Amino acid sequence: MRNNKLKSIYLSLLAAFICMLFPWSGIALSLRPDFMLLVILFWLLRAPNQCSVGTAWFMGLWIDLATGGIFGQYALAYTITTFFAVIYQRRLVLFSSTQQLVYVFSLLFLSQLILLILKTFAGKEFLGWSYFLPSITGALLWQLAVIFGLNTGRHSHGN
Amino acid sequence: MMRGIHQNFDQQQAPAFFARGPSPLARLSFFTALSLALMATDSRLQYLTGLRENLMTLLHPLQIVANVPADMYHATSEYFSTHHHLLDENARLKKQALMQDITLQRLNILSLENTNLRNLLDAKQALVETSTLAEVIHVGRDSFTKKIIVNRGKNHNVVTGAAAVDAKGVIGQVTRVYPSSSEITLITDKSLAIPVQIERNGLRAIAFGKGRDNTLDLPYLPANVDIRRGDKLVTSGIDGVYPAGLAVATVIEMKTTQDSPFAHIVCMPAGGIENNRQILLVSVPQAELETAVEATSGERTKLPATAAHTAKPAIPAATAVVTEESQPHAQQ
Repeated sequence: MRNNKLKSIYLSLLAAFICMLFPWSGIALSLRPDFMLLVILFWLLRAPNQCSVGTAWFMGLWIDLATGGIFGQYALAYTITTFFAVIYQRRLVLFSSTQQLVYVFSLLFLSQLILLILKTFAGKEFLGWSYFLPSITGALLWQLAVIFGLNTGRHSHGN
Repeated sequence: MMRGIHQNFDQQQAPAFFARGPSPLARLSFFTALSLALMATDSRLQYLTGLRENLMTLLHPLQIVANVPADMYHATSEYFSTHHHLLDENARLKKQALMQDITLQRLNILSLENTNLRNLLDAKQALVETSTLAEVIHVGRDSFTKKIIVNRGKNHNVVTGAAAVDAKGVIGQVTRVYPSSSEITLITDKSLAIPVQIERNGLRAIAFGKGRDNTLDLPYLPANVDIRRGDKLVTSGIDGVYPAGLAVATVIEMKTTQDSPFAHIVCMPAGGIENNRQILLVSVPQAELETAVEATSGERTKLPATAAHTAKPAIPAATAVVTEESQPHAQQ
């Protein structure tokens, strides 16, 4: 049971990573939700013992590698974001889906904000407010997954 | 506030049944420290280059897998492109080949003449640049950086600092070389600078990427500079990185304001920065690099250590170009 869960965690993280690697460009790139963070947040709610801040840090490192940026930027953004998810994990599971959606959106926004600060320190330029669009599409994707029956807590004992 | 969170969690963690290992705050501080250390090491020191290379090799198959859907789309759309379309294209390509044949014939005569002239002058022969054809396997992963990954690397003799060129002009420079892939920083990236020359009057300048809007800037040029809209920028070749005379960009905006002594010049890249899949990686051989430096010794005061820096593969050439070149120009 536990092994099965670990396997599905790793497989979904891999799938999210491949989604991030797709040759996105143009408008699609500016709308691309952060698949990796969404999957990590999902597992944080469902299996906090198997997937935690460390997992998020490690996956962030891989994203750093794939984006060719300085090592540790995504890792730090994911670490801080997941920390705020972990400390409220118990409450999050009990939230209604709307409350969850708001919280997930704020977490996605937070991670982008941290990333923006880090990238600005590294000498990059702010790309305008459209930079935060992925937070919105990410939250929409989360809601879509919930509508299509993804269980984000509450009834996790049933499965 | 942190203390509050900590206490809050301590209460939660109390029963052994719910034990989750180290507290989230401990994990947060540990991984934050680790990330900060990594960032400092990676941005200031060169220790992680080898590690990055190895990890990139691991990542290579995943990148290929991620490209499969796009490749399949291209393959099917090519398959279904109509007979008529193919005939059209064929006719056009034949015409183009004919035109290029004519140019090539003239080129042969010119290069013969050039050899003779060089013999007369007793000058060294310029070496032919080595070039590799590469295909883009990964684009636009991050909206902050303008970088692409191509499928040729160390195993195919690609070197750091090589120029990336397509049919229409320069598109960037190789900044990192992995075993079977390499990273190209596009000329529109904020960290890349490229020495250019105005085709019309031979004026030298340095074009910087803007980081967004896919445009280039020509900063630090006086307001009365002789540049007009529509002027073509070509590589000057004095950096020893790009072969001279390649098209870089076209000036699309030239503005002077009262409050600034510098002109505001915006250029549009000539190469297909974001739409081509095949890219030529051109590296200038070391021997020619030396002759290029000798030939332009007059320029050495202006551009001190560019050539020397690009010859060192350990330093990403793009950053070297920026740090070395921005200063003399800023002082002008």
